[in-house]
This record gives sequence, C-alpha cells and structure tokens, in this order.
Amino acid sequence: MLDILLPQIANGLVLGFLYVLIAVGLSIIFGLLGVVNFAHGAFFALGAYFALSLYQWFGWPAVILAPFIVGGLGMAVEFLLIRRLYGKEPLIGLILTFALSLLIEALVRLVWGAGGHPFSPPPFLAGIVEYGPILITKYRLAVLVVTMALLVGLWLFLNHTPFGRILRAGSRDAEMVGMLGINLPRVLTGVFGLGCFLAGCAGVLAAPLWTITPSMAAGAIMPAFVIVTIGGLGSYLGAIVAGLLVGIVTALTIQFMPEASAAAMYVLMAVILLVRPRGLFGERWERFE
Amino acid sequence: MSENANGSGRTRRHFLADTGKVALGAAALTAGGPFILSARGETPLKLGMVFAKQGTWTEQGEMLVNGARIALAQAKGQVLGRPVDLVWYDEPSPQAAQQNFQKLVEEEKVSAILGGTNSGTSLAMAAIAKRLRMPYITPNAAAREITGKECNPFTFRVLTTTPVASRALAPYLATVGKKWYFICASYAYGQDVYAQMKAQLDQFGGREAGVDMTPLGTTDFSSFLLKIRQAKPDVIVAGLPGGDLSAFLKQFADMGMKGKIPVACPIIGDSDLWSIGPAAATGIYGKPWHFSDPNNTKEDRAFTADYAKAHGKPPSDKAWLGWFSMRSLLLGMEQAKGLDGASIVRGLESVSIDEGGIPAHYRTWDHQMLRKMLVVKVKDTITDKWDWMDVLKVSPERAEDLEAQFGSREEIGCQMESL
Repeated sequence: MLDILLPQIANGLVLGFLYVLIAVGLSIIFGLLGVVNFAHGAFFALGAYFALSLYQWFGWPAVILAPFIVGGLGMAVEFLLIRRLYGKEPLIGLILTFALSLLIEALVRLVWGAGGHPFSPPPFLAGIVEYGPILITKYRLAVLVVTMALLVGLWLFLNHTPFGRILRAGSRDAEMVGMLGINLPRVLTGVFGLGCFLAGCAGVLAAPLWTITPSMAAGAIMPAFVIVTIGGLGSYLGAIVAGLLVGIVTALTIQFMPEASAAAMYVLMAVILLVRPRGLFGERWERFE
Repeated sequence: MSENANGSGRTRRHFLADTGKVALGAAALTAGGPFILSARGETPLKLGMVFAKQGTWTEQGEMLVNGARIALAQAKGQVLGRPVDLVWYDEPSPQAAQQNFQKLVEEEKVSAILGGTNSGTSLAMAAIAKRLRMPYITPNAAAREITGKECNPFTFRVLTTTPVASRALAPYLATVGKKWYFICASYAYGQDVYAQMKAQLDQFGGREAGVDMTPLGTTDFSSFLLKIRQAKPDVIVAGLPGGDLSAFLKQFADMGMKGKIPVACPIIGDSDLWSIGPAAATGIYGKPWHFSDPNNTKEDRAFTADYAKAHGKPPSDKAWLGWFSMRSLLLGMEQAKGLDGASIVRGLESVSIDEGGIPAHYRTWDHQMLRKMLVVKVKDTITDKWDWMDVLKVSPERAEDLEAQFGSREEIGCQMESL
C-alpha cells in the first residue's frame, strides 16, 4: 500500500507547490488591493507564451525575463484600469477583470494562433529520478525547488523590508498610511505588478509541464480560487497550506476514485468552509466587513 | 468642397443626381421579370458555415473552414453555374449554434449548411436542420446519435463514429498485446471509446489491466501515469479528446514511458501531435485521412498542394474533413434537380466519390458517410517537420466489408422519416 501511496503523495506535493505559486499572487492582490483578479489565469498563460517566444528568439537564459514582462504588464493594467476599482463594489472588479481575461485570451489567439505549442524542459532537466517507489521527473523536482525559493524570497520581502511593512499597513488602513506621507497609489501599482509577476513565474514553470494553449488560463484560475478560499482570503500561509492540501487530495483521489478527481478540491473547500467559514487562516478584516 | 478632386467641375449635386439615375435604372431592371430570369445565372448562391471562431474549438473551426474554402476554390467558386458566397457564423455553444443556423436560413437565405466542430453543437444544429428542412452536413462530429437515434432526413455526417473507428483499430492492437489499460475522459466520447474497445478486447480474449475515467480538461496526468506504470499493461487505450490527449502524451514522454508501452486511440488529429512536438509524439491511431498516404487520389494530392500553398503547411485531417464535406455538398448540389432542401438531400444521397478502390458515399438510410479508415502509427524517428505518421493499414480492405464496418440498421437505430 505504501508503494502506491508514497509516489502519489510526492507527486501531489509537487503539483501542490505549483498551485501555491499560482494562488499566492491572487491572494496577495486580494489581500492588499481588495480586488478579485479574475484575469490572474490570463497573466499565467501570458507567462507561458512569453517564455515560449523568448526561448525561440534568444534561447533558455532569456526565459527568465518572461515573468518580469508579465509583472510590467500587470503594473500598466493597474495604472490604466484596476486603480479605478478601489473602494468600489467588488462585483465591478470581478466583471472588469473577467472581461480583461477574455480580451487577453483573444489577443493570445491572435498573436500565437489558436493551436497548442510544443515546449519541453531544458535538456539538462529532462529525465526522471527514482527513489524506491517514488518516481518523479527532474523537471518537476526543479519546479519544486524554484517555487520554494520564490516563496521564501517573497516571505522575506513582505516581512523584513520597509516596502513589505508599508504593504501590510496599507492593506489594513490605507488612509493612515497616506497621512504618513507615503505614496500609496504607487505602492499598490507595485503590488498588482508583483501578483502578476508571480502568475507569470507559475506560467513559465508550468509551460514545459503542460501544453501551451490559449485556454490554459482556465486550468489555472479555478484551482487558484479554490486554494485562496480554503486558505483564507488574503492569507499568505493559508495559500501555501491549502495549495499543498489540494495537490495531495487530488493525487490521492486519482489513485482511489479517478472520476471524482476534478471534484475533490471543491469537496475539500466545502468541508473546510463548513467548519471554518473564513478558511483555514482567514482573519476578520475590518475593511471587508 | 463642392468640386471633386480631379477638378472636372462636377459638383456633389451632379454626383447625387447621377447616382439617383443609376439607382432608378437598377430598380427598373429588377422590376422587369424576363430580364431577371436571363440574369439569374449570375445571382450568387449562398452556402452557410457554422464553425467555432472562439474558445477551445477555434483551431479546429479554422481548419475546417480553410479546407471547405479550398474545395469551393477548386470548383472555381461556383455550383450549378452560379457563383457561391460562403457565409461563416460562430458556434460558441450548442444554443448559439442553433440561433446562428436559424439566422443563416432565415436572414441569409442559404441553400445548405456545413457546420459543427463537435458533437454537442452538431446534435443541436441537426434538430434545427430537420425543423427548417435545411440540408446540413456535419464534418467533425463522432457521436453515434447524429446518424443513429436522432437521425433525420436533412442531416448528413462525414466523420466515422467511435464504434467504426474502434473496429478498424482493435484487430491491429490485439496483435501488439492483450492486456489493455483504459484511460478515457469522463464524457460521451470517452465512455464510448471504453465501451467499444472493451467489447473488442473481450472478443479477442484479452484482459483489462485497469480503467480510469478522467475529468474532461485534465491538465496534469502525472498521478494517472503513476497508476498505469504500476499496472504494467501491454497497451494503453486512450479515449481522450484533442487537448487532453496532447497533455497526456507529453507527460507520458516526460516520465520516460515513451517507447515502453504503446499508446492507442481510435481517432487522432494531426494538431494534437503537432502541439506536443516530435520528442513526445507516439502511438497507434485511427485517422480518417493522412496527407502523405501513398494511396491518396489525384484529387487528394491536388488538395494537399493547394492547402500547402495557401497555408504554408500540409493539411491536417480536420482541414481535409472540411474539404471533403464541402466537396460532397457541391457534388450533391450539381446532381440535385432543384435548390429546395428535399432536392439537395436527394442529390447528396446520390454522391459517390472515388477514393482509389472503395467509393465513399452517404448511406441512404442513416446519412452516414461510408468510407475507408486508416490505422496509422507515429514514426520511431521523426525527421520531417510535419509528416510524423506511417499508414499501417486501411480498413476495411474490401468494398463488400464497408457496410458491416459501419454497422447494421439494428445496431445504428436510425428510423429515418420520409422527406
């Protein structure tokens, strides 16, 4: 039995970390800006497509630029559109970002075509690693390492830098931060860019795992929403724990009840929300009450 | 600005007066009955198309349309001596496809419609075709009901159904091994593949190594692959639609399983493989047509050349389905005795297309296109940019077996109403 469980749990953990990376950007944007960014999946897809083009033009090293371009685009979108939503009905933000996701998907089809594109891991990460019953591809291991490094880096940034402190303070009481002479709008542009940068990172990492298609955004956005809800809206730690939970639960459901594997994360969400309506690590936020 | 640019001194008032005279003249001409009759040969005839312009099915929609356009261009853009206008509407959902179908009939006044990238929209449109008595050909739908229980006199289908494709593929697969693992998407097509291939496996005395019904749209198959690896099957039968199959094959290769266990699927599309690259491409498949098949007719080869010239790459099976469907429609209309729905239906029923041995034709009692099917295998070493498959066999080999491969009246279950 352990021979069956161990490989699935290991695989579920890797998948979970990728989900965490997709979800954490969404969580940060919601936690600090109060905007439910439905276009998050579209930024994820853009990360994959930019990586594809950069690889074709300049080779592997250039791929690292893709998330930065996505982050830059995110900042432009915040400056032009998203900042008009602050303090407004959350539904307006949902509609606007949903429209944005449709627009980005249509543009992707226009630029890169409607078909899928082949994209393989770099040659030095091709192949598999076997350890007892556990089998994992080298590339999935690399995704695990890179994701963990990104998450630690992000945690240090949010908790141990002045910018991070401003962000956290601004998310609780924007008015007070403004009175202290801090240019909050500029900070918020940075936050949206950071969220999109993380979506771009996930897109770049997922591109060699999955196939690059215009509809890949849809495959990323639903798990991301579920994870953010399970973890507690806006909670960084919550997104990590929930992402790993979703990864493992999905992998184990595939082993024992494959036809229910797509529904497993929703059942998990329903159960957790019944017990803890704010999610695992959800706090009471004055501004959303 | 009362004078025109060439300085001829003619004012806008002159221009308006002249335009008015031309318009009056035209109105007078159209009012005259005898003149219309003699000029009718030049009046464009409209044919409708309902294929995806957005969403998951966009690529297939574009290829079907590209193929259909080439068929029309090869017919010099006309049928029955009249120029043809193609009108292409979108099919975002079954309901919207029905509305667009209706619009084509009532507003655009088309004579026949080609449409449906998938079974859902095709079934929906077939129902409207019956109600509006509009000849309708679906090139790319595999659901049995279209020419089975839901058949109707105005609906024709070109693609082979899953049972037919399974019958073509299974005998070859049984020679590879008799312990099969099934991984099928949990919806009509996947369930059909499982039922049909399992029945074939039982017939050959084989054994099921395992079965996984996967959620439609699965992006990560790694956990399923771990299970398959543990089961050690001889063959993996994948009942997965395009995008899911691509993701499965890619991860199959990434996990080092390519070349160790053969993968098979009753129906494959070229773009499903092109989208994952030669390193991951593998498998044994059923396919309606392949552009480099040495048995292709001169018409097929002309189509391949025209398509490559227009689009810079060889035609996929979907492009061919669009081309073949439009070709059958134009041939049917040429043979029709009138442009009303019933006459075109009769024309389509009499179409026979030479395919180098077994002629393709629509069966009169269910309107399914009866034609050969190919069993193909991905080459072990891929060197060409586009040509990745070898044709292993043609099924059936003899014309007299064609009817049996497509199933008896009892099995199909179509009770066709009279026109």
